[in-house]
Formats: sequence, structure tokens, C-alpha cells
Amino acid sequence: MENLQALLQGFVVLFTFENIGATVLGAVLGLIVGAMPGIGSLAGVALLLPLTYKFNPTTAIIMLGALYYANMYGGAFSAILLNIPGDGPAVVTLLDGYPMATKKGRPGQALLTSNIASFIGGAVGILILTFMGPLLADIGLKFGPAEMAVLLLLTMTSIGWLMGENPVKGLILTMAGIMLASMGMDTLSGSPRYDFGNMYLLGGIPFTAFVIGTVGFSQVIRLMEERAIKSEAITDKLTLRGSMVTWHDFTRMFMPSVRAGVIGTFVGVLPGAGATSASFIGYAAQKPFKNEEPLGTGAIEGLAACESANNAAAAGAFAPLLALGIPGSGTGAVLLGGLMMWGLNPGPLLFQNEPEFAWGLIASLFLANIITLVISWGVIPFLIKILSVPTKLLIPIVTVVCFVGSYSTDNSMYAVLVMVISGVVGYILQKANYSTAPLLLSFVLAPLLESNMRKAFIISQGKLDIFFSSGIATTFSVLLILFLLFPLVRWILIKARLLKVKSKKIS
Amino acid sequence: MKKHVLIATFVLLIALAAPLFAQAGAEVSSTGFVPSKEIEWIVTSSPGGGSDIFTRKISDIMVRENLVSGQTFLVNNKTDGGGEVGRLTVSRVAAGKLADHTLLTFNSGDHGPMLKNTDNRIENFTPLAVMAVDKQLLYIGEYAKYKTFAEVIDAVKAGKNVVIAGSKGDDILTYEHLVAELGFTQNQISFITNDATSAAITSVLGGHVDIVMSKPAAADQYVAAGKLTPILALSNSRFTGNLASAPTLSEVGPYKNVENPIWRGVVGPKAMSAEAAKYWSDALKAVSDSTAWATEYIDKYKLVSEFRDYVAAKAYMEQFQVEYLKSIGKTK
Repeated sequence: MENLQALLQGFVVLFTFENIGATVLGAVLGLIVGAMPGIGSLAGVALLLPLTYKFNPTTAIIMLGALYYANMYGGAFSAILLNIPGDGPAVVTLLDGYPMATKKGRPGQALLTSNIASFIGGAVGILILTFMGPLLADIGLKFGPAEMAVLLLLTMTSIGWLMGENPVKGLILTMAGIMLASMGMDTLSGSPRYDFGNMYLLGGIPFTAFVIGTVGFSQVIRLMEERAIKSEAITDKLTLRGSMVTWHDFTRMFMPSVRAGVIGTFVGVLPGAGATSASFIGYAAQKPFKNEEPLGTGAIEGLAACESANNAAAAGAFAPLLALGIPGSGTGAVLLGGLMMWGLNPGPLLFQNEPEFAWGLIASLFLANIITLVISWGVIPFLIKILSVPTKLLIPIVTVVCFVGSYSTDNSMYAVLVMVISGVVGYILQKANYSTAPLLLSFVLAPLLESNMRKAFIISQGKLDIFFSSGIATTFSVLLILFLLFPLVRWILIKARLLKVKSKKIS
Repeated sequence: MKKHVLIATFVLLIALAAPLFAQAGAEVSSTGFVPSKEIEWIVTSSPGGGSDIFTRKISDIMVRENLVSGQTFLVNNKTDGGGEVGRLTVSRVAAGKLADHTLLTFNSGDHGPMLKNTDNRIENFTPLAVMAVDKQLLYIGEYAKYKTFAEVIDAVKAGKNVVIAGSKGDDILTYEHLVAELGFTQNQISFITNDATSAAITSVLGGHVDIVMSKPAAADQYVAAGKLTPILALSNSRFTGNLASAPTLSEVGPYKNVENPIWRGVVGPKAMSAEAAKYWSDALKAVSDSTAWATEYIDKYKLVSEFRDYVAAKAYMEQFQVEYLKSIGKTK
């Protein structure tokens, strides 16, 4: 009840001309920034931060909060329409979003599904944040290196079913992803790895450029090869009404969205995890549930789960940030920097000392969620026109997007080089029937897994029992073992049943 | 029809946002170098850590005391490659407007690893100032197994293993000094390197690690809220204020005090013009002389103020480089 009152107070703070203006502006900018590949929420917030120095802190954080939040909507657009992820979390979106938009010919529905799922996930996340904010932050703290390591291992088991029909190829790419991710400075010992004396390699492979190349640029090359073949251009008039989801679609996406929303919120709270991991975990968690189509072939459930999870994570990330002054992600870190710049002391005392600020921010997330849904719904008819652009025009446009996107991540030609090389390699891999999903998944998760696992082993002096040292760690470890043994157990059960049937027949 | 709605929405948006930008405006001075665009200030640690607080405090004071003619700072936390990428980027900025508007936070904890792991040297930068000297303490969290440092020493002697979490760079060096002075091995007391002190504090708050090493600034909030308690001052004398309860090592047992002073400074790209270097050195001097700096930074976070201008800072950093390279057995 107390929280509800505080939240109402937050709405009172929010409903001034400037603050609502800031929310709308933040939401619009967030959508734009999110839709542009390469410029994720991190860059968006960092770019806008200096602009806000002259605002009062509450207005400033409201704007940045809305921007961060709307970003998660925008990132999905290019993933669904062009197969180029706008940001990290969208890597998962394209697994189902792109097939749904192209192979199934339902681009409008795919975009709308992603919007509605984002809205549901965000709403779940913000509600949890409102009622359990500080408690949530404490739960996040319970996740030490050991707990994080097992959770990440559990997530990585989902690589197993992303591999497609050839497990050997999948394993090779998983290993390659882990090796690529280990390039650069070893953060624990400070020693360089695979840097070959090159300063840039010391910084490792930049994630965004790598992803844009492997998924997006490789596709440009494929398009160039296939341009002679006349593509079945979508000639139907794409309207707002034509892109409505059916009631059946909605029932398919609702439960996955709610579930992934809860999961995503908790992942967002975990130290160092963030929206990308949340997306993967939410998607992986959808697998055991009933899906009308297999995930990865354009299933609404899969698209809804990952989109919902990443928006929920964006909300969840505010819990440790506000309650403890701990950034849960890179973007959270920049926001934290902003707090200090405005003269606020983020940390355990923020909710007590600056309730107006903290609750104003939470209230603005509610508003931003609604505004972003409305705006992004409105732009769908314009966005899906991209699909009717002829291939000969699409190739140069997407090429430019790939170059600009990789360059703008950290303003370096090195990133562009990485993008081009990984594009060529990605193209060759696809030609040889390798699915690149395991490569991307292991590349994203390996650095987190490595640092947490090594920290856990330092704490335990190399003993494995640390993975059973707490309730959380034990639960995840047991789950992990069950997951790994599941195929074997199923095989034994089937054999046993066959034997029974046989013996019955004989008797 | 739809287009009109769109245009109307857009106009409304701009109208709503306009008051937000109303306060911008700059003053212009006519002599020598004056900042004429926003200043990019690179920090090679994550937000919330000591270097970050240092940077934001200086830029904040510069804006408040009107030392940058109305321009703003864009603080950029570039932590890739243990900070080496950020340092390399700054060292390579080409001469011109950008070089005169780029700053880099640079302390002994940055300088050491740079010399150890790369070929980048202080000659590739323009030293601007040394501002202060910082020291560390060890803290425990609420769930700590050991309540004092004497208990920690007894536990290690009894065969237990203790883990200290800290940041990179100078924290590792201080840890190595501490373990050597105590006569233990690095397996008995091990160290977990984090990207910034804030991450190390997280692991102690969750009870996953016994002890955290931090400079007073990054731990300040948590000490005030009762979440962290200082148990050992890594200094030749005790700290003051709410850190006064922590003894030095010689008070705990028959050991010498461990102190590894960290200097905190600011540098620019090598290509920075001489006028700009003079300008920034003077501006940093003005910050160092301000009462805001004394009360909001030096006293609050218990540092020792020690200003060196761009000429003195250059000599100081070069001296550090020569000694450090010698200590790790590198010739240049």
C-alpha cells in the first residue's frame, strides 16, 4: 500500500508539462535510436546524457528512462524486417521474427506481436519493480559468481536445440564463438589473449559489429547472389488493418509474454546480465512449453517470449540501480553516471533521500510503456513498406546501414573491418549449411560465464561444491543436470516401453 | 489525412520539448584557447568507481565555477581491454579542435598496466595535472564471517582461505604488498579483479566474498548506510571521520604498515596544442583551489590534495614510468 501511495505521488511529479514532454521525446528518440542498427540503448543514453545536464534531475532521468525503455521496442524492427538486429537483445528476435515476416508473409503481425509482447513484458516488469523494487535488488545480490555461472550454463544448454539438424556443425560454431569471445584482455588477470601484438585485438571483437556482420552483411552478400532470381515482392497493400493480429494470435502470445516478462525482470536485476541475456533466457524458457510451430521457424510464441523478456529486463535493471546504486547493465551504468552528474547520490539511501525522483522515474516508465506502444503501432504501416523495396535498391541501402551501424558503435574503422570479415565468414558458413545462432549465443554468453566461473573457483579454491553451496545454486545445478540427462532418460524410457510391449506380445 | 495527423503530432512534440532546451547559451572570451565545443572526457573505469567520481566531480566544478565558458562535458566510460583501448584512442587523436577538447583521467593504476601490457607510453600524451593522492581500505559487508582484520589473520593461520575483491590496476599492487607483508601466499588470501570497485562492492554486499578493497570515495555511500564497515586502513596513519575506526596494519600485529599511494591526474592527447594544455592546467588549478573541491572531494573522500601543473605533472609521470618499468624489468 505504501508503495502504491508513493507511486501515486510519482504520477503527481510526472504530470507536469515538461515531464510529459520529456517522456514523449524520450520515447520517440528511443524508438528511432533503437531502430537504427548499431546504436543501441547504451549509445543512445550516452549521447543524450550531456543534453540533460541543464534539466532538473527528475525531468532528465524521466527522459533517459523513457529512451532506454523505448529502445527495446525499436531494436526489433530491423531484426524482423531486414534480419539485421538493431541491438543485442534483437539477436534472438530475428530467429523467429524474420521467418514470420518473410516466409510466412506476415510482417505486420510480426511487428505487432513484438510490440504487444514488449508492452506486456514491460508492464509485468514495471509492476514487479513497483511492488518489490528494493526486495528485488536484494534477490539480485544473492546471485554471486557461482549462481550466475550455473544459470548461464543452464541458458547455454538451449544452444542444443538451436543447432539444427547437424549437431557437429553446431558444436564447432559454439566452440568458435567461445574462442572469439575470449579474445582481448583477460579481465581477471589483466593479461592479453590472442592479441597478436595488436592494440585493437586487445580490446576484443566488438559485439555489435560482429553481429551485424554475421547476420546482416552476410545476407547482403546472399541477396547479391540471388538478385537475378525474381523475388516474390509483397504486392498486397500493407495497411494497419491488414497487420492486425487475430484473437488466436493474441492467445498464443499472451502466456509466453507474461511468463517471459517475469523471467526477464529477474534476469534484468542480476549483476552484469542485462537485456541481451534476458532475451536469450526468456526464449530458452519458452522451449518446454506448448508451441504451435517449432521455435525458430517463425513461431509467435518465440517472438513474443524474447521481446517480452528484454523489455521486462529493462524495467528490472532499474531495481538494483535505484535501490543500491548498482548498474545491472552498460546502459544502467551510464544512467548511474547521470545520477551523479545531477548531484544525486545513487546508493542504498536514494529511495529515502529522493523519493520524488525515484518514484517519478518509475511512474514515467508506466507512461513511456503506453506511449511507445501507441507510437510504434502507428509506424508499422510505414515500416513494412521496406519489404516491398526491390532487391536492387535494398542491397545498397542495407549495406550502408551495416557500415554506419558498425562504425557508430565506437566510431572506429576497426569495427567496420570486423563487420565485413564476419559478414563474409557468415555467408560462407550459411552456404555450407551452418546455422549461425549457436555462434552468436556462445559469443554473447561466454564472457559472462567465464568471469563468473573463474571468480567462483577463486572463492572455492577450485572446488566444485561451490555450485551446491546455496539454495539458488543448488536448484540451478540440479536443473542443469536434469536437462543434460533428459535425452538419455527419455531414450531409456522409450526402450523400456518398447521392451514391455514386446514382452506383452510374446506372452 | 494520416499525414496531417503525423505532422500535427510532430509539431506538438517539438512544442512540448522546446522548454527543455531553453537554457543553452555560451559565453565567448577572446584571449588564447577557449573551449568552443563540448569536451569529451574519457574514463577507463566503469561509472561509480573512484576514477569516475573523480572525473565527474572535476567536470561538475568546472561547469559550476564557469571555467569552460558554458560548454558541457561528455564523460565517456571506455572500459574495453582493461582500459587500454580508451587510452590508445586518446593518444592517437589527431591535432586540431578535437585534440584540444579531449581529456583522459589518468592515475597510477592506469599507468602501471599500460606500461606492463602495451607499448603505449606517457610520451604519447600531454600531461595536464596531478590533482590528489588516494589510498585504500579493506571493508567487510553485513554477512562477514570475520569482524576484524586480526580475525582474518588468525583464520588464515588456521588454514582457512580468504578472498578479497577489488578493482584492477593499483588495487592488485596494494594487495600484493599486503600479502607479502603478512607473509602469506596468494592462495591463502586470494584476490578477485573486477572492472571497477562498484562491481567488487556488489559481491561483498551479496555475501559472496569476505572482504572488499576500495578507496574511500566508491565505498562512501555504503559506509553511510551501514552496509560496509572499514576494518583495515592501508595507510601509514588512520583515516578520519567515519573511517577512523579502521586500524593500520602495524596496530593489528607485528607488521609494517602497507601504503601504496595512488596519484590521480588528468592528461590530454599528445596532439593537444600548447595553449590548450596551459588552459586546462590552469582550469584544473582553479578547481584544485576551489572550496568546493576541498569540501566535496578531498575532505569527503579523505584524499590528500597535491596539485602539480602541466610542467610538474609531466616530470612526475615520466619519473613514475622510469621507476615502474625498472621494477617490472622492462627497459623501455
